[in-house]
Amino acid sequence: MPEAIEKIFKQHGRTSDELIPILQDVQKEFGYISPESVKKISRYLKVSENQIYGVSSFYAQFRFTEPGRHGIKVCLGTACHVRGGATLLEVLERGLGISCGQTTEDKRFDLERVACLGCCALSPVVQIDRDIYSRMTVNRLTELLKEYE
Amino acid sequence: MTKEKKLSITIDNKKLEVRPNITILQAARENGIYIPSLCAYEHLPSYGACRLCVVEVDGLRGFPTSCTTPVEDGMVIRTDTAEVRSLRQEVLKLLLSEHPASCLFCGEQTECKNYQGTIRKVGVTTGCRYCPNDDRCELQLITEKVGLTETSYPVYYRGFPVEKEDPFYDRDYNLCILCGRCVRVCNDVRLNGTLSFKQRGKLTTIGPAFDRTHLEAGCEFCGACVTVCPTGALSTKVSKWYGRPDTQVGTTCVYCPVGCKLILQVKNGETIDALPDYDSPVDQGLICVKGRFAIPEYVHSAKRYTSPQRLTPVGYEDISWDQAIDDAKERLSGIDPGDCLVMVSPQMSNEDLFVAQRFAREAMKTEDIFPLLISDLGEDLIPFLDLVMHASPFDVIGAAQGILSIGFDSTYGFAPIGIQVKAAAKNGAKLAALNFYESNLDVLAETAHETEPSRWAGMIDSLARAMPENGAANVVIIGPDVVFDPGRGAIFNKVIALRDVHKWKVIVAHPYTNLLGMLATGAFPGIKPGEALKKGGSAAAVKGVPVYPDLNKRRKVVYVIGEAQIDAAPPCDYLIYQNGLPPEGGLQPDLILPACMFTESSGTTVNAEGKVLPIQKAYEPFMKSQPDWWIVSRIVERMQKKAFKYNSVDAIQRDMKRQIKGFFSMKKGLEFGKAGGAAQSRGKRTMKNREDRYRGVPLASVVTGMKAVEERRRHE
Repeated sequence: MPEAIEKIFKQHGRTSDELIPILQDVQKEFGYISPESVKKISRYLKVSENQIYGVSSFYAQFRFTEPGRHGIKVCLGTACHVRGGATLLEVLERGLGISCGQTTEDKRFDLERVACLGCCALSPVVQIDRDIYSRMTVNRLTELLKEYE
Repeated sequence: MTKEKKLSITIDNKKLEVRPNITILQAARENGIYIPSLCAYEHLPSYGACRLCVVEVDGLRGFPTSCTTPVEDGMVIRTDTAEVRSLRQEVLKLLLSEHPASCLFCGEQTECKNYQGTIRKVGVTTGCRYCPNDDRCELQLITEKVGLTETSYPVYYRGFPVEKEDPFYDRDYNLCILCGRCVRVCNDVRLNGTLSFKQRGKLTTIGPAFDRTHLEAGCEFCGACVTVCPTGALSTKVSKWYGRPDTQVGTTCVYCPVGCKLILQVKNGETIDALPDYDSPVDQGLICVKGRFAIPEYVHSAKRYTSPQRLTPVGYEDISWDQAIDDAKERLSGIDPGDCLVMVSPQMSNEDLFVAQRFAREAMKTEDIFPLLISDLGEDLIPFLDLVMHASPFDVIGAAQGILSIGFDSTYGFAPIGIQVKAAAKNGAKLAALNFYESNLDVLAETAHETEPSRWAGMIDSLARAMPENGAANVVIIGPDVVFDPGRGAIFNKVIALRDVHKWKVIVAHPYTNLLGMLATGAFPGIKPGEALKKGGSAAAVKGVPVYPDLNKRRKVVYVIGEAQIDAAPPCDYLIYQNGLPPEGGLQPDLILPACMFTESSGTTVNAEGKVLPIQKAYEPFMKSQPDWWIVSRIVERMQKKAFKYNSVDAIQRDMKRQIKGFFSMKKGLEFGKAGGAAQSRGKRTMKNREDRYRGVPLASVVTGMKAVEERRRHE
């Protein structure tokens, strides 16, 4: 990690207006903003860790926990909602023991909700990593999760 | 500088001449025109968050906020039109939609106020009491001024648990109105950056990163956020329910040699709180945790002596002052000069020190005046005194181009020095920090080293070489971690070389509050009153030479004044202990004389810059306590020595003026000669770790929150 973050720093100046570009690069590289990264950025930009956290928590694009190996996105757009998306989400929350926006303890899954994936004709839709699964049911979803380790 | 051209503006049909470069709000306030405002604060940059200070300005669209709009020549401003008023009411309603409002709008308000304290067998408080700021709340005041009598929006209670895990202050963010004063004071004034807004919109909260506690996040507990909070969201643990103070008394903090001004909040003859003074020239209101939070619990500690006491075979017995003075006289009369030792503390006032040295020299005819720092520093005393007596004023930091900080961390002390260093570093000064643990300056430092103190002396040269060439523009700061390290001698000598050869400025952050006063008043073995001061502009050597009392020789009487580490005193037949709180260690004094705290007796103290600063008596002494000078004077009087007889601080100051030339009149502060003499080590005590003390008693042993702070400092 130290080399990777140093490499990111090399591409940016040491002024506080570089904070957001640096945060974006760090998130791209590591998948999230860890307390260690925040400390490194703090020393590099001479800005306190708390201020960096304040800025980054303002934006929805930054996350502070290590992402899981697989990301599950449950669509709760109008069509999916009507066709039972909320039930799917509830089942996932209960089954994985986490709520929306969290990661399972074994880092296997991330659970998120999205507003619309743009394929309402296939509703209800669940996206796992880059694959879209259409006309999802509770049973199929439970089976499907077993394929992801 | 040319005189600034005044601008003429009109506020509410009143023609006014105002300074340029100020905001409409400032102009209005300076001319006694009230505009309500919650987020603006005199010592903070403009922000424009609360929208309460909206006004109408001819030629400007809409309703600009007066706290962010600068005045312009010929501006016509109206602050109190019907439209502005209704706008403010609406803004306030929205603000209050997330703030519990039962103390603001309630049909029973008058009755509640009148009958809140009821007389029963036990104390009972009626009415709602969920906010400690009742009666001191800016929101209450503004609601009244804006004329809001009801709110039409439902109040949304955010339901946060009250955060109580950190020392010194509690945080109830349900009462927070997100005005951002605390965030701004923490970041812009204290340059600390512990607080920031987290999340956004409805979810916004205030606090440090990653749900850390304030202690973990590097909070200094300077209390600046508590001072500026307009609501009850932030409140001091010790004094939150006291309500309004009766009086305020300005005084000088004696916990360290910076000499910050404090405004003591006094109620029922007790200090309930201590606030900073942002206009104080010495510290600019940048007081640290000790001044802000460690005073009430110390000076009103339950352990304080209530009466003089005498040790009997069955324990201590309370006696009258008359008996106590008699006992002391009995033991002190007719003994040889070599049989008595007077221990003094650098946390006493100049007046008390002056009287103590007169007692030793004139009544007892002895030079054995013993300040503990002699054995603290041992062989390194002379270079230490040399540095301390010729230290630069703090404001040299502001103009510095290079700063070398050694063993210095301003998190829990020396805040005015630390903040100036931070400000200089932000303005481009080159900062190098040398510490054992990570210091709070490291984040702004060009180079920060965390190494063993034994390596510091060896690193000074190379770090100094990397600094700007012009030595006169460089400052070296020595922190308490150096003073308390066995390897300090080498560091002192390196720093003296930087000062004498390369013209560096030196600032020493040491724990001995009134050390300079001690030297000037002659409460130092071998140096008589005034001898330490520079005479007639020449940098001549100090006339007296420090002599070291023999700490192994058994004495007939040891008289300890204002010090609690009595195990460092030589063995003796009879121990007189004059202090406010019990001593450390297992030794039992034979006679206990209860002495005043600095809040109970007037006087002066000298800070590290040599400035003579006033200590103001805020209320009568606790129980039978008496000022140090009073006790010593009474003993001398009883001994029928004609030496002196003081009945007031004024009389002491008159004698000091006579004996110590220029003591109260040197404008820039006291200037000292060069201390000479050979270094000796007579100390029998091993250095304890650095812990903040007042009159020898560790603050952490009496002030609840200081323990957490000390542990954090030691990285436990």
